[in-house]
Amino acid sequence: MGRRVRSRAVLVAAAVSLLLVLAIVLGSRGLRDFDSALIPYTVATIFLAFGVTYRYLMWISAPAAWRLFRQGLRTAFSRENFRRAPTSLPRMAATYLGFQRFLGARSHARWIAHQAMFWGCLLAVAITFPLTWGWFTFTASSADGPGYEMRVWGFKVLGFSSSSFFGWAMYHGLDLAAVLVIGGVGYFLWRRTRDRAATTGQRFGYDFLPLLALLTISVTGLLLTFSEICLHGGGYEFLAVTHMVSVVFTLVYLPFGKFFHIVQRPAAVGMALFKFQSRSRGEELFACRRCGTPIDTVPYLENLRGTMRDLDLGFDEWAEYCPRCKRVLRGSAYLQHVKRGFR
Amino acid sequence: MMGRTLFIDPGRCIGCQACVSGCRECDSHRGKSMIHLDYPDEGSSVASLPTVCMHCEDPVAPCAEVCPAEAILISPDGVVHEADPTRCIGCSNCVNACPFGVPKIDLAAKLQLKCNLCYDRTSLGLAPMCATVCPTGALFYGTLEELQAERPGVDVSNWFEFGDVQITTGVAMVVPADRTRDPVPGGLPTLPLVQVNGRDTGGRVVSDAGGQL
Repeated sequence: MGRRVRSRAVLVAAAVSLLLVLAIVLGSRGLRDFDSALIPYTVATIFLAFGVTYRYLMWISAPAAWRLFRQGLRTAFSRENFRRAPTSLPRMAATYLGFQRFLGARSHARWIAHQAMFWGCLLAVAITFPLTWGWFTFTASSADGPGYEMRVWGFKVLGFSSSSFFGWAMYHGLDLAAVLVIGGVGYFLWRRTRDRAATTGQRFGYDFLPLLALLTISVTGLLLTFSEICLHGGGYEFLAVTHMVSVVFTLVYLPFGKFFHIVQRPAAVGMALFKFQSRSRGEELFACRRCGTPIDTVPYLENLRGTMRDLDLGFDEWAEYCPRCKRVLRGSAYLQHVKRGFR
Repeated sequence: MMGRTLFIDPGRCIGCQACVSGCRECDSHRGKSMIHLDYPDEGSSVASLPTVCMHCEDPVAPCAEVCPAEAILISPDGVVHEADPTRCIGCSNCVNACPFGVPKIDLAAKLQLKCNLCYDRTSLGLAPMCATVCPTGALFYGTLEELQAERPGVDVSNWFEFGDVQITTGVAMVVPADRTRDPVPGGLPTLPLVQVNGRDTGGRVVSDAGGQL
């Protein structure tokens, strides 16, 4: 079973990587717009596509994830969802994935730092990935003027003056992204050295390495601009290679470390939709068999019991009792069977 | 089998809630108590039961197995950790699958919370907060030999029974010396209770002991 799942994951991941190669060739007009100086980055994104697909398929093949994946997809694309609550999916995607409101409930400082890091990374990805694939090109519209054209897949999308504020922002988008990321990473690194809750059980490879990788990318990226403006290109080659190595390492590492939560987080939307659909129908929640306290929605509990049976956890009927009743019943049984002196 | 771990003796518990308060002081979850203190026979006796995570060994951590986000880490020393905040999606699978009723959930924060055996302390060789502050020794941290040296004649069990399923745990309960051959009942009700004092119960159940719940 494990071997079959792995072989299937490898095949699908290879197919996705090939599709990306095809999209790069087509999107860069037969590689005419492709910048060969960016080849290491392009290769890293192809590895990334392979790694993320492989890891994702391995992840959802586990019983609990597989059941939730099916239920989430089924709910998201069900006719009932589109008819009854058509805005629920985009709304939940925006609150969970974009604005990450749940992080605010954990800590306001962490929420702000994570938002800075998130939008910084998103901006950087939106600029660099299409550039390395040859999908975006910037060309001068005339030989002597400040006019520039941005083309996507060879089609002109917009024209702007390179001396305007918009032009400045276009050419310094990555610098802005780096500033956002450095702010967020700085806070999280400080927290990882000071906060006892964060330092408990932390691991270098899992908790520090991703932060150090983002910091290296951002700092070397900013230094490239610094070198260009202030040092007349001094040390540019060294910085460019360091920047490239750190980006390639991060992209290849992404599917296997802490960064994988980026790929996993949409499961929160699927789970919330799955529970929301039952609630929006006005169905009663499943109540604890002993005390009547609402536990969760009926489909959720059936899904959990199915997961427990898949895993050979033969006490799935116990899920129909609330946590407090489980403890009280265990206490009563201990009192009756084990140690009467407990009274 | 068991190394240095927690031993729970409900017979010594006086329900003072010192463990609940002490737990809040734990650095890894400051301000939030992860320990449960229940009164199984409320109104009839002063019996109380402290519940910490039992750190299930076989099957290994059902909470981690049912987690769809691979958020619960089990470290090589057998400690079942609280959910990784990066990964936890707040689905409550662990809360409802745990046979001991241990994990809590913060729905707004989409985060599971549970006892991690005060990992910030136990990984440095210190006792967990609950065992440190318990005035009666209902929560004892140490080895079995240390427990038996202090309390001659006691034995412990880390073997629990839920219906047909048996679970062994990293944390143990104190049991009478003649009570180690059988697993400790987990309390999973088995017999349907039809009536109480001539009134229909509406499907409520009785425990293995046959007592009304």
